Amino acid sequence: MTDRNVPDARRNRLDFWQAASGAVLALFVCVHLLLEGTVVLSASLTNAIAWLLEATFVAQISAPIIVLLVVFHFYIAARKMPFRANELGIFVKHSRTLREPDTCLWLVQVFTAIIILLGVFFHVYTVMIDLPISVSRSAERMTSGWLPFYVIFLPCVVLHTGIGIYRLAVKYGYCTRATRQVWRKRIWIVMTCYLVLGFLAMTRVWFHG
Amino acid sequence: MGRILTFEIFRYNPLDPRSMPHMQTFSLEEQRSMTLFVALNQIREHQDATLQFDFCCRAGICGSCGMVINGRPGLACHTQTSDLPERITLHPLPVFKLLGDLSVDTGTWFRNVGKKIESWLHTNKTFDPTAQEERMDNELATQIFELDRCIECGCCVAACGTALMRKDFIGATSINRMARFYIDPRDQRTPKDFYDLIGDDNGVFGCMGLLACDDICPKQIPLQDQLGIMRRMVSIESVRGWLPEGIRKRLGGGCGCGRHK
Repeated sequence: MTDRNVPDARRNRLDFWQAASGAVLALFVCVHLLLEGTVVLSASLTNAIAWLLEATFVAQISAPIIVLLVVFHFYIAARKMPFRANELGIFVKHSRTLREPDTCLWLVQVFTAIIILLGVFFHVYTVMIDLPISVSRSAERMTSGWLPFYVIFLPCVVLHTGIGIYRLAVKYGYCTRATRQVWRKRIWIVMTCYLVLGFLAMTRVWFHG
Repeated sequence: MGRILTFEIFRYNPLDPRSMPHMQTFSLEEQRSMTLFVALNQIREHQDATLQFDFCCRAGICGSCGMVINGRPGLACHTQTSDLPERITLHPLPVFKLLGDLSVDTGTWFRNVGKKIESWLHTNKTFDPTAQEERMDNELATQIFELDRCIECGCCVAACGTALMRKDFIGATSINRMARFYIDPRDQRTPKDFYDLIGDDNGVFGCMGLLACDDICPKQIPLQDQLGIMRRMVSIESVRGWLPEGIRKRLGGGCGCGRHK
């Protein structure tokens, strides 16, 4: 073997932590949206779940942890983002001329990541300063001007999570060339289901108010 | 009579101080089974003898005629004009040093990256030219050959958004090259050695999984699968000593490489 510059181990673990934090956040989003979606069935059921999560302090403990995890995930993943003006210009022009769906989806991930980073503070702050969590209080927030925020925030979260899971599977070899089309199709189906569930839940909460 | 094709070709000679980058238009009548390679030769022969582009084998083997065809990298000799619209725009491959018009120097880039990733077989065994060649399982030999089919045309690098933004990124072709040595039993390198070579953001961790390389590759080399195999192996190596061995081994299993060193 020849002499070589051995990579900085701490820095190179970042890729692992980016994947791990992304996977945990994706799992959280899936569970969170499902629990929120129970309002479509019954507002009492959602209130009961919220009560249980608060009584066991799961909500109070997990909320700041999730915010920190989002910041941590963004901080690590940001090293790949095209922050310099020429990088963004090069990438946008490249994705336009190349017409490759996965290249375009990465831009979607970058823009949704910035919206999520800003949105998660507002979302968690407004919910956690107004405990206990209940459908009535969510309805109050919706009718007092927060509806446009959630109409934008929800698709961003769903898109970023769905594309993120797909890309994670690609990067670590779970999604191969042979199964790529199936993965894509399934991810789009799941994202559509979550979007429909999310908007149904919002509609239900809106009329609850 | 065939279609009249309109070619918009990037023109620039970096060695001429008076030359400015611009697009030049040429018209040509399409003929049966015409490839871009044939069309470019006709333009050079009958319309503009100064047009620069590279070619050698005309059969998708040498990898010289890579260029950006209507926004997508590809080989001129592999591309039939009948598959393209009447208006065809040609640019040189980005990332590589421009020699002039459509001609780029891929050789220097590949040589530099080859040295960086130590793109040769590493063994302590002394070569005996009189001995019989070591036997290899046929299936494994086929797997290695499959990855060795890379012609270093540079199309995957030119199609990669990461390579365009980060000039030190080694690209899918280099990761494929490492995957080729990873499955070769004659190469004595361990996952730690591969991690030392490509385990950073200029290496396998720089890949953002955009997969244009896999879609563009004129030789249809399974680049996506190699990126997955190598990233998982190197990533798991990066957390050695941090993650419990049981979890580490479980995460590393089933990567489809057929061999775990």
